[in-house]
Amino acid sequence: MTPEAGFPVQMIEGVPVVAAPVEIDITNADGLRTALAEAATHGPGRFVVDMTRTKFCDTAGLHALVAANKRTLAEGGQVVLVIPDPGVLRIFAITGLDSVIPNVVSLGEALTQTR
Amino acid sequence: MTAQAEPEPVEARLQAIQSITDAALSGLDDRELLAALLDRLRDILQVDTAAALLLDFSSGQLIATAAAGLEEEVRQGVRIPVGRGFAGRIAAEHHPVILDHVDHTTVLNPILWAKGIRSMMGVPMMAGGRVIGVMHVGSLTPRRFSADDIQLLQLAADRAAAVMQSMDAQADRLAAAALQRSLVPTALPAVAGAELAARYIPGEGRVGGDWYDVFTLPSGELCVVMGDVAGSGLKAAVIMGRMRSALRAYALETNDPGEVLDRLDRKMQHFEDEVMATVLYAVIDPSLEEMRVCLAGHFPPVIACPGQPAELAKVTAGLVIGVSPGVRRAVTTVPIPPGALVCFYTDGLIERVGEPIDDGLARLCLAVRAEPAEAACAAVMQALVGADALRDDIALLILRRQAVPPIVRIAAGG
Repeated sequence: MTPEAGFPVQMIEGVPVVAAPVEIDITNADGLRTALAEAATHGPGRFVVDMTRTKFCDTAGLHALVAANKRTLAEGGQVVLVIPDPGVLRIFAITGLDSVIPNVVSLGEALTQTR
Repeated sequence: MTAQAEPEPVEARLQAIQSITDAALSGLDDRELLAALLDRLRDILQVDTAAALLLDFSSGQLIATAAAGLEEEVRQGVRIPVGRGFAGRIAAEHHPVILDHVDHTTVLNPILWAKGIRSMMGVPMMAGGRVIGVMHVGSLTPRRFSADDIQLLQLAADRAAAVMQSMDAQADRLAAAALQRSLVPTALPAVAGAELAARYIPGEGRVGGDWYDVFTLPSGELCVVMGDVAGSGLKAAVIMGRMRSALRAYALETNDPGEVLDRLDRKMQHFEDEVMATVLYAVIDPSLEEMRVCLAGHFPPVIACPGQPAELAKVTAGLVIGVSPGVRRAVTTVPIPPGALVCFYTDGLIERVGEPIDDGLARLCLAVRAEPAEAACAAVMQALVGADALRDDIALLILRRQAVPPIVRIAAGG
């Protein structure tokens, strides 16, 4: 299967960055999973998921991020999420994932952390 | 006699295969359909054996599912690992294989060479871009299979794969719906001093992993569970069933809701580490005056006291099930004043694409009032769902404590 459109993996300052879509739900979570797996193959297992545009993330989206975080940690890598949206941050607080997956509010900060 | 005068043999055979999945076969179940197809395939290709092996995704093995002239393969439950032997190689490489020489060096399954098969050809059964099985035919006399033969077999395999996949999806949906129905309580327990009402609505086109449960403990405490397994279909429904049973078992061992969810988390991470689920577990005192609530990534309940606007109960958040080992979740005690109503729900009730989650929660708080439980359920569904098509399941459970505590009369005398 080819990865769905809309999940480009870009190298920024030598760090793979996955641009998450505006809405992440059961209809596109598999595409996100594919992109996350691809990002993990670039470089030394450190990458950023840029959720700057993201306004909505349901359980299927969270599941994809949790799976990527588990896999990268097991391989000695690190995922950093960029979450500026208060609504999305709220979901991360309710699920307790804000204290499990490192997250910052700007891409610049995330790049500093992953370098 | 010219070639144009009579139909091309290939065309005639093509037509014969196209007729295989026609309406005449529509009343058959998946295995019967495969067997009927293989039987006709044997005639059309003039071979002695035909067999279909379907891929079992959990074990990565091909399982002999239907056969003609080779029934022993199915009856003995032949299993071939992907990547090994004749069929395994076809499944791994996604392309047809022809064998002009059948023995233990080329074929893993001893039934095939013991049978005296001299030549074989097999093709992958592809559906939705992935291999779902392998179809092969064999000849007891040496034979060189042609490109036309391969093309015909591939056509039959493609048709079978498409039909099997749609039958599978249908069976999956029906089984998930039946399982879901069997696991959501048909009748809520009668509780002195409280009323209960509930709704479960499956998402459109697919059943998800939402569930709720209500039961009493030997101590007289009343327990409420709301859960949501990430994913949908039969797989999510099966996991939901396991989590429901495990939670009930732990509930009998300890009345500490935090301990129950931590044990449930440990069990899920050990046995099914791909699972993620949110769960709320509340243990309500027999007096109904308060409840102890533990959250594993779930939304807190909404509580409405008579004459006051409803609000989200202030319950400490706890990590979702299936993420990190050794997590200890906090338990929050929430008072339930006389006449108050508590609303438990899953995310499908409040999440709408294009709307911040706080808006959904605010709408829920506006809709919840301290009124009789059934009326409150109806009002919440009306305000939050209306006539919208649902993408996700919704589970809703409402408990209302009676305004006046029940009076216990003690008989005089004695």
